[in-house]
Amino acid sequence: MSTIQFASGIAVVNILLLGLLTTVWVRNYRTFRSSLLLGLVAFGSVMLAENVVAIYFFFSMKMLYSGDPTVQQAVLVLRGLQLVAIAFLTWVTMK
Amino acid sequence: MDKALWYLLTATRGGENRARLIRELSERPRNANQLADALDVEYKTVRHHLDMLEDHGVVEPGDNDYGKLYFLTDQFEQHREAFEEITEHID
Repeated sequence: MSTIQFASGIAVVNILLLGLLTTVWVRNYRTFRSSLLLGLVAFGSVMLAENVVAIYFFFSMKMLYSGDPTVQQAVLVLRGLQLVAIAFLTWVTMK
Repeated sequence: MDKALWYLLTATRGGENRARLIRELSERPRNANQLADALDVEYKTVRHHLDMLEDHGVVEPGDNDYGKLYFLTDQFEQHREAFEEITEHID
């Protein structure tokens, strides 16, 4: 599997986790009607969009990424770090 | 404590049930079984919520080992206003 395919895979996992988080926050907003939750929903939605755009770039600009292995690795590290961040947030939210 | 309540009640998956659990305990102390019946959830779920709330100093168990009754802490009572604000939109 290429580095970029792996990075796309991580983006898909990010999208699943963010979908889960945003669902919890939307549901809680319906219950509590607090602006904190509106903020969390907005945060989750933008992060979701960011990961969708990332996947779009991986497939539509393969040439750009495939030219340079260092760029591919940098992209993979960034996706991976975001996964770690979202995983922690998911952990404390599902408790 | 205010921040802990916002986190425990609004930002987590089990938040609504935890708010209802605190309301039940506001009426009178109850044990985990009674709370499971009152909230219509599994005993295991109630145990999990009680542990979370105990970790954050919101509830505390009484002295008996069997059918342990749970009480709201004094610390929580001092922050009841925040609780009322958080839950004002729940039926």
